[in-house]
Amino acid sequence: MTINFKQIEDKLKAEAKRLLDEGKVSIVLAYGKGYDEKHPMPYVARKTSDVENIIFNEFCTANMARYLVRYPRGTKIAIAVKPADSRAVVQLIQEDKVKRDDLVVLGIPVYGMKNFKTGKTIDSKTTCGLYNPVLYDILLGEEVHGQPVISPYGILADYERIGKDERWAFWKKELDKCIRCYACRKACPMCYCDPCFIDQNKPKWGEKSPESHGNLMYHLTRFHHLAGRCIDCGECSRACPVDIPLYLFHKKVAKECEEMFGQAAGMKIEDKPALVNFRVDDSDKILE
Amino acid sequence: MKKITIQRISDLATQLMAKGTLVAPVNEGSGFNFREIFDAKQVDLNFYNTLMSPKSAFFPHTEDFVRYDKNKSVLDAQCVELNLKPVFLFGVRPCDAKSFEIMDIHFSGTGAVDPYWKKRRETTTIFGYAFDPKTPADGADFYSTLGIGAADPEGSDILMMKKGDDLLLKAVTPKGENLLSSLNALTDASADEEKYFDDTVATGKSFKTRFTCVDDKVIAKKLEDLFHKTEFWEKISEACLSCGACTFVCPTCYCFDICDETLFSKGVRRRVWDACMFTDFTLEASGHNPRTKVYQRLRQKICHKYSFHIRKYGVISCVGCGRCTRNCPVNIDIFSIVDQALKE
Repeated sequence: MTINFKQIEDKLKAEAKRLLDEGKVSIVLAYGKGYDEKHPMPYVARKTSDVENIIFNEFCTANMARYLVRYPRGTKIAIAVKPADSRAVVQLIQEDKVKRDDLVVLGIPVYGMKNFKTGKTIDSKTTCGLYNPVLYDILLGEEVHGQPVISPYGILADYERIGKDERWAFWKKELDKCIRCYACRKACPMCYCDPCFIDQNKPKWGEKSPESHGNLMYHLTRFHHLAGRCIDCGECSRACPVDIPLYLFHKKVAKECEEMFGQAAGMKIEDKPALVNFRVDDSDKILE
Repeated sequence: MKKITIQRISDLATQLMAKGTLVAPVNEGSGFNFREIFDAKQVDLNFYNTLMSPKSAFFPHTEDFVRYDKNKSVLDAQCVELNLKPVFLFGVRPCDAKSFEIMDIHFSGTGAVDPYWKKRRETTTIFGYAFDPKTPADGADFYSTLGIGAADPEGSDILMMKKGDDLLLKAVTPKGENLLSSLNALTDASADEEKYFDDTVATGKSFKTRFTCVDDKVIAKKLEDLFHKTEFWEKISEACLSCGACTFVCPTCYCFDICDETLFSKGVRRRVWDACMFTDFTLEASGHNPRTKVYQRLRQKICHKYSFHIRKYGVISCVGCGRCTRNCPVNIDIFSIVDQALKE
């Protein structure tokens, strides 16, 4: 089975039009034209006439859940979500940043998306590798079945094999490349703190200059703030202009979290975030 | 005019390294960047354009001004002096070479002279590197719209150009002339090659990247009129994440912050790049922030480059290199925004 992007686009347009016409939502978060076909942009439709500008193709990688927290609480929003994005919506509902009742989730079952910067296919190496959204009200297309199920943690095998010192050296080298543009945190649907700890100066948590100290402070803290919350959409790594493989660390933390607490972030709406929920039988491995 | 075969480019690099510091494009896997060269073989001219702009050669991301010790007297604080060897900035694209002239306005042209910028500019010889007007542009850049040719020599001391397996080098300034004549890794170019060089510079003028007819004054006025039309700015900034990727890769963004950074008792007062896209960029000590919304910040960026800058200094603060577009995580394109503004 191959993904029919045109069909998804048509359904997305039709549903967006219907929801806006019926007054069910006041905005639709979807994708629109960029400066060329291979570079689509996040798009917000507010009127029926906006709907014709909506598109969907294999380069529509942005996680629209990132924009949810921008609108005042109570705004009725329809949001187009790919499998990983739907986990972000679930996680945001769990964290009470958005209300389930305010959302109409337009699920897109899809795989074979492509990175618009490199043209490479995006798979479970850099994302969670799901084929179907975990939450939706309306499914745009048919659920994908019969594709090989690949663990999102498979890529970690090589990474886990290397020793502690080597791993430290690896991250120091990678994080030294950071230019502190903060595209990673801005592209991340879970990074909604205002202000972010790194922007505070009373107290000052980390240096502003792009050197080892500040870079480590920023990234290691961000990695840990996302423990049990990262839904593995891979947007941070794709947003990064200097190609730091941020997904590796997030996947590693997500894996440990899943092993310890038995749940992955944003999979079930009735779960509580792993690090918020206390259970007597929780693993104490973290203390060892 | 001189030439060298591209295969022997490391000979040229070695000679330049003997004379001073060589900063040239290096393939870093995820893209090319200007780096100080320690091994002549690293120099690689097989790139379209670098990921980061060459502005950091004169305006580094972090520049230390004063070093101090908190346990000692203020009088013991040490100013950081620049002791530079001659620097050779190798392989700068014509649009980027142009950006240095725009940056000069801010760092040495409007009364206050930045000694660090000035010193770096004086010690650096710029080797421009023409785009090939016979191969199409990559789709993101739009320098021709801003009147910059694919092989313009302006801004360079020496302009380099590929011709088959050869690299042709022609001096543009007396500084470049002096340097060229002292490099014995180079051989003299033939009259044919000289003609090819001049022809390419001429064809480069009419080379078209993405193009819109833009008159500086018209666009400046248009944006000024649009300034208070909030709906327009809200619409174009709806996708903007408000990260700093576009400003950090930009060759003409020059905003910075001065901050003190300390480790135990040792401290340093330094200049660090800042970006108008960050929320805390305009945060005042009182807690008031005049630009809390994304649209206000994006509007500032566009209007600064295409309107205020023209009104104040007479030139657009953009060279159309396309880096902001190429590196935007959500594909916001400054060229399209200006185009849309013109159609409003």
